Amino acid sequence: MRENKNKGVYVPSMEHDACGIGFVANLKGKKSHSVVTNAMEMLMNMEHRGAVGSDPGTGDGAGILIQMPHVFFKEKCKNLGFDLPEFGKYGVGMIFFPEDEAVREECRYILNKHIGELGFELLGYRKVPTHNEHIGVTAKSIEPWIEQLFVRHKTITNPAELERKIYVLKKYTSHFVGHNIEENKNEFYFLSFSYKTIVYKGQLRTNQVVPYFSDLDDERVETALALVHSRFSTNTFPKWKLAQPFKYIAHNGEINTIRGNINWMSSKESLMESSNFIKEDIDRLLPICDTEHSDSANLDSIIEILVLGGRSITHALMMVIPEAWQDNKHMPEYKKSFYAYHASLMEPWDGPASICFTDGNVVGATLDRNGLRPSRYCLTTDDMVIMASEAGALRVDQSKVVMKGRLQPGKMFVADLSQGRIISDEELKKDICTRKPYKKWLDEYAISIRDLPLVDNFEFQYDESTLIQRQIAHGFTSEDFKMILQPMVDQKTEPLGSMGADTPLAVLSDQSQHLSGYFKQLFAQVSNPPIDPIRERLVMSLQGSFGATKNILDETPEHCRQIYLKQPILKNSQLVKLIGLDSPFFKSKVIECTFNANAGKGALEDAIDYICYKAENAVRYGINVLVLSDRTMNANLAPIPSLLFVGAVNHHLIRKRLRAKTGIVVEAGDVRETHHFATLIGYGATAINPYLTFETLVSLKKQDVFRKKMENVEIFQNYIEAINYGLLKIFSKMGISTIQSYQGAQIFEALGINKKVINKCFFRTVSRIGGIGFNEIARETLVRHKMAFPKIPLPKQRLEVGGLYQWKRRGEHHLFNPDTIDLLQQATRNQDYKLYMEYAKRINDQTKKAATLRGLLKFKKRNSIPIEEVEPKENIFRRFATGAMSFGSISYEAHSTLAVAMNRIGGKSNSGEGGEDEIRFEKKPNGDWERSSIKQVASGRFGVTSHYLTNASELQIKMAQGAKPGEGGQLPGYKVDDWIGRVRHSTPGVGLISPPPHHDIYSIEDLAQLIHDLKNSNRDARINVKLVAETGVGTIAAGVAKAKADVVLISGWDGGTGASPISSIRHTGLPWELGLSEAHQTLVKNKLRDRIVVQADGQLKTGRDLAIAALLGAEEWGVATAALVTEGCIMMRKCHMNTCPVGIATQNHELRKLFSGKPEHVINLFKFLAEELREIMAELGFATVDDMIGRSDVLRMRKNIDHWKIKTVDLSGILYREKTDPESVNYCNKVQDHVLEKALDWKILEAARPALENGESVKLELPITNVDRTAGTILSNEISKKYKGEGLPEGTIHVKFRGSAGQSFGAFGARGIKLELEGEANDYFGKGLSGGQLFVYPDREAKFVPEEQIIIGNVAFYGATSGEAYIRGQAGERFCVRNSGAKAVVEGIGDHGCEYMTGGVAVVLGKTGRNFAAGMSGGTAYVFDPDQRFGSYCNMGMVDFDEMDKEDHTVLKTLLENHKKYTKSTVAKEILDRWKSSVKHFIKVMPKDYKRILLERKEKLKQAI
Amino acid sequence: MGKPTGFLEFGRELPGKRAPKERVHDFKEIYLDFGEEQINEQAARCMDCGTPFCHKGCPLGNIIPEFNDAVYHKDWEQAIDILHSTNNFPEFTGRICPAPCEASCVLGINKPPVTIELLEKTIIEKAYKLGYVKPEIPKVRTSKKVAVIGSGPSGLSAAAQLNKAGHWVIVFERADAPGGLLRYGIPDFKLEKWVVQRRVDIMKAEGVIFKPGVNVGVDISMTSIMEDFDAVVLCTGSTIPRDMRLKGRKLKGVHFAMEFLTQQNKRVAGVEVTSEDVIIAKGKSVIVIGGGDTGSDCVGTANRQEAKSILQLELLPKPAESRTEKDPWPKYPTILRTSTSHEEGCERQWSILTKEFIGDENGNLKAIRVSDIQWGTGMRGRPEYIEIEGSGREIPCELALLAVGFVHGETDKFNEWKEFELDEKGNILTNGQYKTNIEKVFAAGDIHRGQSLVVWAIAEGREAAREIDIYLMGNSFLEARDDSLINMVSHTPKP
Repeated sequence: MRENKNKGVYVPSMEHDACGIGFVANLKGKKSHSVVTNAMEMLMNMEHRGAVGSDPGTGDGAGILIQMPHVFFKEKCKNLGFDLPEFGKYGVGMIFFPEDEAVREECRYILNKHIGELGFELLGYRKVPTHNEHIGVTAKSIEPWIEQLFVRHKTITNPAELERKIYVLKKYTSHFVGHNIEENKNEFYFLSFSYKTIVYKGQLRTNQVVPYFSDLDDERVETALALVHSRFSTNTFPKWKLAQPFKYIAHNGEINTIRGNINWMSSKESLMESSNFIKEDIDRLLPICDTEHSDSANLDSIIEILVLGGRSITHALMMVIPEAWQDNKHMPEYKKSFYAYHASLMEPWDGPASICFTDGNVVGATLDRNGLRPSRYCLTTDDMVIMASEAGALRVDQSKVVMKGRLQPGKMFVADLSQGRIISDEELKKDICTRKPYKKWLDEYAISIRDLPLVDNFEFQYDESTLIQRQIAHGFTSEDFKMILQPMVDQKTEPLGSMGADTPLAVLSDQSQHLSGYFKQLFAQVSNPPIDPIRERLVMSLQGSFGATKNILDETPEHCRQIYLKQPILKNSQLVKLIGLDSPFFKSKVIECTFNANAGKGALEDAIDYICYKAENAVRYGINVLVLSDRTMNANLAPIPSLLFVGAVNHHLIRKRLRAKTGIVVEAGDVRETHHFATLIGYGATAINPYLTFETLVSLKKQDVFRKKMENVEIFQNYIEAINYGLLKIFSKMGISTIQSYQGAQIFEALGINKKVINKCFFRTVSRIGGIGFNEIARETLVRHKMAFPKIPLPKQRLEVGGLYQWKRRGEHHLFNPDTIDLLQQATRNQDYKLYMEYAKRINDQTKKAATLRGLLKFKKRNSIPIEEVEPKENIFRRFATGAMSFGSISYEAHSTLAVAMNRIGGKSNSGEGGEDEIRFEKKPNGDWERSSIKQVASGRFGVTSHYLTNASELQIKMAQGAKPGEGGQLPGYKVDDWIGRVRHSTPGVGLISPPPHHDIYSIEDLAQLIHDLKNSNRDARINVKLVAETGVGTIAAGVAKAKADVVLISGWDGGTGASPISSIRHTGLPWELGLSEAHQTLVKNKLRDRIVVQADGQLKTGRDLAIAALLGAEEWGVATAALVTEGCIMMRKCHMNTCPVGIATQNHELRKLFSGKPEHVINLFKFLAEELREIMAELGFATVDDMIGRSDVLRMRKNIDHWKIKTVDLSGILYREKTDPESVNYCNKVQDHVLEKALDWKILEAARPALENGESVKLELPITNVDRTAGTILSNEISKKYKGEGLPEGTIHVKFRGSAGQSFGAFGARGIKLELEGEANDYFGKGLSGGQLFVYPDREAKFVPEEQIIIGNVAFYGATSGEAYIRGQAGERFCVRNSGAKAVVEGIGDHGCEYMTGGVAVVLGKTGRNFAAGMSGGTAYVFDPDQRFGSYCNMGMVDFDEMDKEDHTVLKTLLENHKKYTKSTVAKEILDRWKSSVKHFIKVMPKDYKRILLERKEKLKQAI
Repeated sequence: MGKPTGFLEFGRELPGKRAPKERVHDFKEIYLDFGEEQINEQAARCMDCGTPFCHKGCPLGNIIPEFNDAVYHKDWEQAIDILHSTNNFPEFTGRICPAPCEASCVLGINKPPVTIELLEKTIIEKAYKLGYVKPEIPKVRTSKKVAVIGSGPSGLSAAAQLNKAGHWVIVFERADAPGGLLRYGIPDFKLEKWVVQRRVDIMKAEGVIFKPGVNVGVDISMTSIMEDFDAVVLCTGSTIPRDMRLKGRKLKGVHFAMEFLTQQNKRVAGVEVTSEDVIIAKGKSVIVIGGGDTGSDCVGTANRQEAKSILQLELLPKPAESRTEKDPWPKYPTILRTSTSHEEGCERQWSILTKEFIGDENGNLKAIRVSDIQWGTGMRGRPEYIEIEGSGREIPCELALLAVGFVHGETDKFNEWKEFELDEKGNILTNGQYKTNIEKVFAAGDIHRGQSLVVWAIAEGREAAREIDIYLMGNSFLEARDDSLINMVSHTPKP
């Protein structure tokens, strides 16, 4: 990454991409040109997975990797006047040269010099013929100069050795040019340089690749394999070299841990040695990875060095992207040992990844442990192997298909062209894993911390006499006890809270802040999915280790000589063991981390430098367990914030390339919350001993605060479990699965830390508003220290009250406090604008107490206009929305009052994610309308039916929520009453879980697909994508615009919630000021601003807030908390407890009666907001809101800021205004082209007219291909419009398709449609099925055994609410995820089947993958298990295996008979034929909760009779 | 928090009272004891609000939800610790505070509020009983000396806080015993004097020196105080009663309420009342003019003195029985309040204008002349009244007690020495940090604020003590009301 040189808040390192990838190969290695054309055709059929920006000719990048076309080059070179030697004796470099001739020649000069220097002979250059007539203006503007370089080596004859030398030449020259030629601007780039493969790629659309590179059109270009890639980037800044494939891989996904991986790599590089490279060459290679390149490019680089260093490409991939092995009971021992051993060499490069790879001979693909990207393959009788993101992308004769399959999580699919066969994952890995005696090595060398000798005669003393002083010095508050520590010990999880954060950002706060408060956790949204750490615990791991890392190019038994920890929190006894280490292999040293409290300015920084110096010396001396401790603090020595010394030492050791030689143990008093642990680990700590927290827990035990009597051991254990739980949640919200890869990965953005501190301690952490430096940190620390050790001590010392989670007079400032709440309520109830302005003044005027970034801003003086000239407030109302609050989180009364108010003024209310009662779709006799204009589609998909979607003016995809981005939610069973159960299509009394990710959005192209689906489901609705501000939200917003959303909502971190872990409320996400300006700036920069509406929300409370949001780029605003306050909310913050005393956030019937809000009050709020806004507009001379949007030049920072912390803040980045063309606008004035006219549904609608109009049955047949996506959804929308939730009678419209269906086949299919598919289908089959019927069976020509092959993709029936489906063949991962009512029969499924299911029936007639029924709270599954293997594959957390009764037999038999009837399934036939014996092999999976409720109901019924 | 659903399960309950017939024969405490289970239920009603309005409503900033929780958990030590962190004298406020906290209790939006005052009283009494209220003697003494003039609630709280900070504190009191209004203003049946003495004894044990019977400015000059002390704080109260300049004011039998009340308190305390003008209600028709708390105290005292009849007159109209839209939650509402004294028997009349005191030939009061009035809104939107024609009448009475408030303190007492700057109401003006225009001299309580509540006086004393501490030391580690200590410490510039 380059330093952020632009003036705005856009951060280039945050670019994301996602893609279509695949390969075509001839299994026998037979070369032909048709492999190229087939691969290109396949790529073009995945065009919908790529994207185009404002310039339709410019794609995001596409390319192809093929084997060296030796014959072709030989002839071409001959024409150029030089002869090529035989294949394998020369190398071809494909090079992007700078366009500028002088710079180009300078690069060439260096290259030529290095060619000679390394013993090569230059054979010649060939200008690659390119044809840019059809490429986009943007792409053309930075089109590179492309040449091929031909070299051979004077001495080396062995091809493998030649390849390595070429690699040295390539790296050496790239580094040299990068460092020495300033004007190069990073343009000089090797696409590939090899004797065996070559890459053609560029910033092209898929259909431009061949026309652009006419070489590829040449019949003489022959290859046996071709790897292709098309990129969907979240941005459109032209960058040719970001296109893929790279040298070895094409990657679809994200490496979330890239920052840490690169940091670790830089230390490991210094240890590299290899018999394959001479020392000088190793030096020429370094650095292997660097931040200049994308995560995918770095992944390619690491694979490259590992492969050239001597490992096979498959071995290298297993090392870098290991399977989830730690808790896998199905994994053979040898494989576990392999992974355990390699964990000591390399941390996982973690994140969603689907990778196609080749070394020119072996070609294959692999999926990461989570398997969140689709990959389908097939093999034909004529030896063609096809692998792609979608099935059917390359049309094949179905009669020739021998095998079909999908890649499974962590698995590898490999075709070895030299052996001419497919090698199974099992065989391949067994071979790799048993090459060395890894298990023996581990047994001999790896040590568990448990096994270290106990240290006698040493015990830390709990010193009660100084406890409170130390607590004060380390910033403990009484609130920490009550809100954090006590619940953690009692409940073993993180405590919950509700409502948003309205306290100041750390840098604006008057209160002394914990340093970690300046760091905001990053989270996954859109471009990568978060993980569910509870229900998908099997992929997560907290296991870490101590000790020195060794040379990664080698493998010896000593490599695994490490001390292993199960989790990172050290009890005192464990710490003592580590401190006591003194053996030839492990040595520890304690470094004191305090500073002189009385030494004045600079003391802290000096102390940090000294600590780094001592740490460096220790490591050089051989210390491999470094203990950084603040335990020696006292009245004269102040403790250094642990995060500061850990970050400093970590980065110092990285800079000195020593980091990999030691583990870092932290012994610190200021560590108590999950976030504290997460920041320490994120900045490099290996293990942490929170000694003061342990002491505090002991003292709390003495005060008897815990729910039950416990021994210390149990208290510590509970606390550790709670922290572990919290850590997993924090990792998982970024989509990271293991602590090993989280460690040092710096998944944070700093908010309010200056550059100097960042560079020294948190290098390359994004920090965009400047902030405090070492002196301010020292001051903040010393205030606490001074409090702890006053010169004149008071008779009794007390802890501060805190006041973060509840308003406290002596605590942290809250914008919503008794005064402002009272004023706002009185003003809106009495329609008193004067009183409202009194309220607004207290929020807006932050000269005394700052709280928000906007509070630091001021409007510039401009010529004002009379207020009469400002557009009327009625015009402004349409720009208002209320926040997404579900019916369930708030009461019916509170929910519908908001809806009525917004409908009366023409604004929009938001259903939230809990569905909506159909009665609200119709207007009331008095003209009021309780319909929420915005219907939310969240990960739980509760009540998301075709009918629901049809009754909306806007559909909002909730990617994240300010209060808990990257996390799911849970509605406890007691809150699900009959009404809510009905609306959510679930069982009353049964708890509901919203998964952290949308299981149909793992990447940006998936989001584009969901947008497409929703647009099909309701063509009149705007599609809105809700994001939360974080670094990179701008590029995501650009991606969202390109994915054709109509609106993007940027939420601040501080938005409200009905229930969320309190650490998430406080520590995740950024203020909307940053996110909004980043989004606006990026959209303008990408020329996408005019096609998408930008909305902002997050604690918007006044007209001034609206004005600032508009000036920073928002044309619409969401208001939630303030609207609730006008309804009577008094910020109880008890929403999660169902005890809201004013009837808002509760379902308790008694409490609901107390609701006293009126639509008029809410309307008054919006009138006042608009009025205040209009006054500001008049003052600033803006007649319309449109004129204001994006006019950040009208804002400046207040001058009267003299607070010692706040004055270090610099908001110029936020206020930066992108230069725009005169004709371009700052707001949305175009409509997105959703290309619905291509939909297959129009043909169906035509034929179905009699059905739609008169309910007559119709039947038709149609062909289908993978580009025909979302079949049947427009049709369903039309049915819902006319026939409402009821739909048409079953089977009224019967459509029979043949072919490979695109994604989302039958999505939101309404009752009355019957879609029959002969062939196969891709992902999201039957998503949101709403009563329709779907059948699928293989093509009549197919020769394979259907039940052994995959026929539909991943995530089928996600969020289905009713309907039925029969699948002749297998489905992929996550079958029936969140199904709440559909019945489906399938003949085998992948991992995570029936996850989060709450209703309906799933019948599996074949194998299931792991983690079946995780989070399943309702419905029933019947699994046919004659081999009795199912048991260990089922997650028994929430379900039982039950006896089948008569009723079950009937249900099951009917379904099987249908299955047989509709799909001709022989599996069903065989089972039915031997029903009596086969029925015994069925296992009934029954959720415990659901069973309990059903029993209760039966009891009730009995009593009633 | 104690019990999330407590407020749904339990109703508001207060302890019983002794029967009026019984209690009018003595000056003892009126309320009966409350069972532990009952108090526990009352504490369980607290909702531990995210935004505790009570905590804002309390002038001291008592951290009410926290101590309620501690009571629920029967952790009395914790409870008193929390309570003492903001309030030096919960035993006073727990008995005589009009409890603005309860008016702003969130539960009060639609249900009867939590019995905060009762909980407060229970905590402190329990704490005394269990021995948790111990003298907290400063570990280190500064060399600074501070004089506190006046030993009412503000003087006492200032003294307690200054002592805590390690300063030497001497409290001067012109009366024969410390306590000011607490001792000689508030009747014993509301605040028995052993309660005051108990606290004074603790303060003595903590090192505060009391000098009763010393009238600063008379017995000792301000100049010498200024020489001996590093700082002085005036806490002399708002002692000048508002007079009614009506015909007949000089008649015998027309008295200020405070004269009447003080005499009785002295009698109860066994102190001889030396005043030549002994005021006794026995057998008399008593009229109390003024419908406030002082008036109510007169009613209770007159009843105990066996007055023949008692009539209480109020100029303002009769307030509504419950909260109206005019003063919505969380404001302290003007509603009809019936005190225990009222329960014991008296007539109350509202919208009554007193016009004249009528005497007999001996100069003794025999009646007062009054008129009914009608309240309306005047030109500037302020309430105004007009007399109702023909409503004039005489009411016979032998004792009239004027309880119509206090104008300000005796601010001119030291004029010969130096003159204090005053605000427009005649109270001592300070710089916003309790510092007067005279170097070293601070002012707190009613002399600074004007007539107010005991709870405000305590709050002022505490805050002033902090400012004095900063003045003396450059910084203060004493708790502040509206901000965290850490914040205060980090902001106070070094001297």
